[in-house]
Amino acid sequence: MSDVSTSDGVEPDHEHHHDHEGPGYSTPQAAIEEGGREKLAYVMSLYVGTDVDAPDFVAVVDLDPDSDTYCEIVDRVELPNRGDELHHFGWNACSSSCHVEGLERRHLIVPGQRSSRLHVIDTKDRRNPELVEVIEPEEVFEYDLSAPHTVHCVPDGKIIISMLGDADGDLPGGFLELNDDFEIEGRWEPPGEIEMNYDYWYQPRQNVMVSSEWAAPKTYYPGFDLDDVEAGNYGQKLHFWDWEDGTVEQTIDLGEEGLIPLEVRFLHTPESTHGFVGAALSSNIFHFWEDDGEYRAEKVIDFESREHDDWDMPVPALPTDILISMDDRYLFGSNWLHGDVWMYDISDPSNPRKADSLSVGGTFGEVQEVQGRELAAGPQMIQLSLDGERLYWTTSLFSSWDDQFYPEEAERGSVMLKADVDPRNGTMTLDEDFLVDWGECPAGPARAHEIRWPDGDCTSDVWQ
Amino acid sequence: MTPARYDVTLDRVGGPTRTIEVDEDETVLEASRRSGVSLPYGCRTGACGTCVGRLLAIEGAESGDDTTDADGTPIDVAEAFAYRREPRALKPRHRDDGYVLLCIASPRANSRVAVGSRVQSELVDNPWK
Ligand code: FES
Repeated sequence: MSDVSTSDGVEPDHEHHHDHEGPGYSTPQAAIEEGGREKLAYVMSLYVGTDVDAPDFVAVVDLDPDSDTYCEIVDRVELPNRGDELHHFGWNACSSSCHVEGLERRHLIVPGQRSSRLHVIDTKDRRNPELVEVIEPEEVFEYDLSAPHTVHCVPDGKIIISMLGDADGDLPGGFLELNDDFEIEGRWEPPGEIEMNYDYWYQPRQNVMVSSEWAAPKTYYPGFDLDDVEAGNYGQKLHFWDWEDGTVEQTIDLGEEGLIPLEVRFLHTPESTHGFVGAALSSNIFHFWEDDGEYRAEKVIDFESREHDDWDMPVPALPTDILISMDDRYLFGSNWLHGDVWMYDISDPSNPRKADSLSVGGTFGEVQEVQGRELAAGPQMIQLSLDGERLYWTTSLFSSWDDQFYPEEAERGSVMLKADVDPRNGTMTLDEDFLVDWGECPAGPARAHEIRWPDGDCTSDVWQ
Repeated sequence: MTPARYDVTLDRVGGPTRTIEVDEDETVLEASRRSGVSLPYGCRTGACGTCVGRLLAIEGAESGDDTTDADGTPIDVAEAFAYRREPRALKPRHRDDGYVLLCIASPRANSRVAVGSRVQSELVDNPWK
């Protein structure tokens, strides 16, 4: 541990403390220094929406270049049921509980986006994690919620999951709270605070949480339909919450340029009120920040649609994922339809400056195969090493949406790719020696979605 | 009284055809799992469309094997299936075209249904291409 304990015998509280008894790291910089290189990845892997008669699984991928099984899926935690659609997942504890003695970052909460089933996976043995708990959909529906998405742990062992729909897959969504025994505690917020829901992030020192909007599950589950956009069935708002009270304090309508705001991230520095959200359909990135007690949002990056001979309409970029490097210096993202990963310097968050991008996979990617393996889709879920030097990504968005835009993804399966990042010079290079292929899975080609490291990463850790 | 049973023929697009017996008070998905025939599914509440099939024929209906009858009226799903709950994943155009959510549909007649993941991908296509 690099920081000196300042413990004076007083119980740690919500004040700023450097005591580090629990999971994670005492600061984002400590995560960079102490985290070490990622040797394994946990990756959501799925068969939903294909004719492969097998359950979804959590893939354990070997990322240690010195290992004989580098770039291989070395273990698969198969779930008991089919039809879950594994999508996003999270930890039982992260750096937000770093002052809580006895808590460990050990259990992964793995929701089924389509099934509304919640799984708990014990990663005590990192290479061979084990399914230990299943919360059946019927138990979730009792709280009139469905379609679990983002999982964050909150201090003291609680877990909060954003839920995109009611028990019928309609609106409104909400948030489900689990206790540290992985039992449903109930709804986290008083019902009726929001209609649409999607991703969320919290910044406890500022007592704020921000949530974004996709659509009702019944709208996005079957696939993307432009009629739904015209009918106003897709989201375009950000909600700023009082984190302690669980109530919405302010809603910002991003307007037409902010359609389908998905991944939403605060800077890691716990003092910061700055953050970013990617408006996928409008293909814009918004910066938000607090100014004199109010949050504001402003479009800061605009990706232009591009003409393609095979398309009747200009192809939107569709930035479906973003993340912020642990040192808060760069915003990374993926343009799934165009086939780009990019990094912007956000040292002045109001004026992101493009550092570099890679054109790979997707509709326009300059690189269309790696090691002879054709890439069926563009870069989608991204994850960055704690030191900011390696960016990894997978290629599946959502089974039914994949089928519309990249039908070959079902036949070939997803891949995981990697770029080497030079944060000092703000550049990226595709590592053509790196390829993990879900096309080779024993039961048949699988899709791959969100990625996590066993020791925390740029999209899971929050500081109190 | 024993519940009525119907034969539902599952015609997998790009795969084998299997006929299963489905009780009037169970869903086609439940019966398929009981019979060891795998169908794609997700939410099991009628919200996601993963389990969707397309009704091809109702036994006894004039339409024979066609999805429209002699005067061009589309096949009526309600003649072959009763829903347990609202089929929210289907838009009116899908319902008119004979799409049926097998996770919430119980039979009211012998029928033949196209199934498999390719039916699901018929529901929506790339809107820009
Ligand atoms: S499984 Fe979701 S609608 Fe049938």
